[in-house]
Amino acid sequence: MAITLLFAVSALTFGAMNVLGDPLFNILGPIARDTSNPKSVKLIEKAKNDYNLDKPLPIRYGLWISGFVRGDMGVQFSTDGQPPVTELLKERIPRTVTLLILGQLIAVLVSIPWALLSASRADKFVDRLSTATTFMLVALPGFALAIILKYLFAIRLGWFPLTYRALDPLQTRLFQMLLPGFVIGLPAAAIYQRLLRTDLITTLQEDFILMARSKGVSKPRILFKHALRPSMFSFITVVGLTTGALIGGSIVVETVFRIPGIGSTLVEAVLRHDFPVVLAIVMIVATAFVLINLLIDVVYTIIDPRVHR
Amino acid sequence: MSELQTEMRQEHQPLLEVTDLRTHFRTERGLVRAVDGVSLTLERGKCLGIVGESGSGKTVLSRSLMGLLPSSNTVTSGSVKFEGKEILGLPSKQMRRLWGREMSMVFQNPMTSLNPLMKIGQQIAEPLNLHLDMSRADARATAERLLRDVRIPEATRRLDQYPHELSGGMRQRAMIAIALACGPTLLFADEPTTALDVTVQAQILQLIGEQRRDRNMSVVLVTHDLGVVAGHTDEIAVMYGGKLVEKAPTSVLFAHMKMPYTMSLMRSIPKLEDPSHTRLATIPGRPPDLVHPPKGCRFAPRCAYARDKCITEEPPLRQAEDPNHSYACWYPVGSPEFNQREAELNSGAVPVTLEAR
Amino acid sequence: MSTQTPTTTEAAAPEPGEAATKKTLGIGFWVCIGWLLVMVFVAVFATRLPIPDPKFNFIEPGQAGPSKGPSTAHWFGTDKDARDVFARTMYGARVSLTVGFIAIVFGMFVGGTLGILAGFFRGWIDRIFSFMFLVLLSFPSLVLAIMLTALLDRKLFTISMILGVLAVAPVGRLARATTMQYAEREFVIAARSLGAKNKRIIVRELLPNVAIPMSALALLGMAVAIVAEGGLAFLGLSVERSITWGGMIQLGSDSSKTLQNQPWIAFFPIGVLFLTVFALNFAGDRVRTYFDVKETSL
Repeated sequence: MAITLLFAVSALTFGAMNVLGDPLFNILGPIARDTSNPKSVKLIEKAKNDYNLDKPLPIRYGLWISGFVRGDMGVQFSTDGQPPVTELLKERIPRTVTLLILGQLIAVLVSIPWALLSASRADKFVDRLSTATTFMLVALPGFALAIILKYLFAIRLGWFPLTYRALDPLQTRLFQMLLPGFVIGLPAAAIYQRLLRTDLITTLQEDFILMARSKGVSKPRILFKHALRPSMFSFITVVGLTTGALIGGSIVVETVFRIPGIGSTLVEAVLRHDFPVVLAIVMIVATAFVLINLLIDVVYTIIDPRVHR
Repeated sequence: MSELQTEMRQEHQPLLEVTDLRTHFRTERGLVRAVDGVSLTLERGKCLGIVGESGSGKTVLSRSLMGLLPSSNTVTSGSVKFEGKEILGLPSKQMRRLWGREMSMVFQNPMTSLNPLMKIGQQIAEPLNLHLDMSRADARATAERLLRDVRIPEATRRLDQYPHELSGGMRQRAMIAIALACGPTLLFADEPTTALDVTVQAQILQLIGEQRRDRNMSVVLVTHDLGVVAGHTDEIAVMYGGKLVEKAPTSVLFAHMKMPYTMSLMRSIPKLEDPSHTRLATIPGRPPDLVHPPKGCRFAPRCAYARDKCITEEPPLRQAEDPNHSYACWYPVGSPEFNQREAELNSGAVPVTLEAR
Repeated sequence: MSTQTPTTTEAAAPEPGEAATKKTLGIGFWVCIGWLLVMVFVAVFATRLPIPDPKFNFIEPGQAGPSKGPSTAHWFGTDKDARDVFARTMYGARVSLTVGFIAIVFGMFVGGTLGILAGFFRGWIDRIFSFMFLVLLSFPSLVLAIMLTALLDRKLFTISMILGVLAVAPVGRLARATTMQYAEREFVIAARSLGAKNKRIIVRELLPNVAIPMSALALLGMAVAIVAEGGLAFLGLSVERSITWGGMIQLGSDSSKTLQNQPWIAFFPIGVLFLTVFALNFAGDRVRTYFDVKETSL
């Protein structure tokens, strides 16, 4: 199933790129349209040959996908093809992955205690306040939150650096990623908190919670030891599914904080009509997304002993 | 105070003494009087059966006694003394020392009352760790012994199994093992057999009885089935609409029941000697609305023997011939009025009319 | 046994959390609707309202910089080209609301149709459509939107359609699930046994029932589309040569200096965008609770 899906996704992406856009134009710019000039015609012929554009679409797809699987993602259209797409992405992917992991880590670490606090005081003041807060965080678009946090914590308070600098040592770079991580993590935390809070409240009404109380188990221990795990199922699913949305969010965040990851690379490539780069990034992101969903199923079997497959 | 004195004092006082207990819930519809003025006592080592239909307040009563109800919308008043100490209204921080250690509860549905994601062994060991400060290994050994006590075969293997891997009866045994873990002096069993097969029911009741004798523990057995309590209790309290309507030692109650309600409950037990497909007598109507309970006797609207007085005036709890037997009825079973109506009913002279509800 | 039903725990006290779910939309809902109506009004009648020209450069001779803070003349201040931020914010509502509206109408129409057909006919139709939804959902939405804007032009209608495509899969899934749920109900089976044609069953029996949860999600969907448009505009990939909130925010934050010295350029559009999205989310959420729609897949 996952293989079929990946095949469909890649074919669709590749097809859309080649049918909706004009690869030749994107490589050569206005020259591609200038067929009267023999110099241009020569260039067009060369480009067609170089990029296999004279072959039919399915063959081009076959060539591209076999290259992609082997780790050869082709040549950039812009910047004279240097560095090759694979090299470019090798340098940029780790930054985005770091940012996403940091964001998810912040989201999970913030949302679990937050949900426990809310659920244990359901409908009290703290709970109502936190529900209102989650509502606002969800309604705040990522780029708006990025600018607000940047303004407050980087510009006004000066706690964090304004932008990312690729040449700084690792520790410094991780610190520079912290504020962007919060921009990604906080809205996700709000979503997780709402979900986990609801599930916790449902779990807390279960008979086995009353049973645990009747054994003399303390309230914090009931929350952590008895209620949390049975409430985690949809939480884990949503954490997995949200990773995809976070990739979208990271595009904006990378742009605001000037982090050269794949998100900002994608935007630059789109603005420059550099299709091999766009294609490679979209494919990598979609593949990651599909694989994450597979992973959720595996995690399920680990946390729920009742699931046997 | 020396230990001897403490022991002597305890000899003279009942384990549990309940006076005029009221438990009301604030709801959107109004105040639900789930338990409305219940008084009873329970001696050490004895078994008290609390019997009533669903909605009679028996589950709420047992949970109020143990202090397990959520505090947010519950109002309780009256007094619950455990070993002479007032425990009603104690914050759960203090109740927690009693829960599991001095008093524990076996719930109705073992499937939902055991934590589905925790191994049986862990669930038994938890109170041992908490209350008796046992090491992990000791707790595990004790848990295994407890599983043997409640006759679960292959106890060692069961420790590492999850509830869904056990049968219904075994789950209930496991729950009893958890409740017994710290050797409580008082065990509440709330419909412990309702979710089980008939054959398993008897075994579970037997098990509770044995453990009670072995441990000199008191048991409060809550059930809707008068047949269940008959052979396993020393005393029975019948509840209706949040009130105690009849209370007597088991043998006295079955010999001289006074309340028509108790009688109806009795008639709804299927008997072995009945030919198969005998229609069971059922109690017509529904339990009373506990937000607006009837003015007089709460059972009057459903009682075939009710007269005008029953509808207007609430009967007090009165003593019967036996000093330990009390009941709340104006025209109890055996009274002239009761006999007269009984005769009319049998002859078909008076149609059974029920107030439309 | 007797008439009693001993299966449930009796008279359990209502727990917190489920209490107070009264069937009213509440004041908050109407406040949000009020705000949205104001925005719609502003968007429709922007040209006729007594607000400054959003493209005019209010440069005053003898002033240091072109950008100035909020004043009575310019409520939200002026931007780096000395244009009135308030007027631009009002005009920005046009693109956002239009794109959000067209996108969700398109998504509802296409996704709803596909979903109902899949849920009603099942079999291979269902398999094909469901697979289609799955493929669409395999792209993070902003990534798909960026890819499509790269291939197509950046006209108002195109951007709306692109964001509409994003709504197809979630809406379709909801419609499919709801249809399957209702297709099993007695009244549909009854209609079928009376010899009603498929078309009639779909239009007369299923559509009204599927429409309720879908309409509840329309407001939430519109919020998603507006945020997505804002994101695209912020990245410079939305409607060209138009005033957009995302574009204004980008302009106000493209350098840290601007953000530090003229925060009003970015923060006023952020505020209005936030209030609009919040109002849509809040109202949508109220409607969803009101109709008791469980699914939250948008």
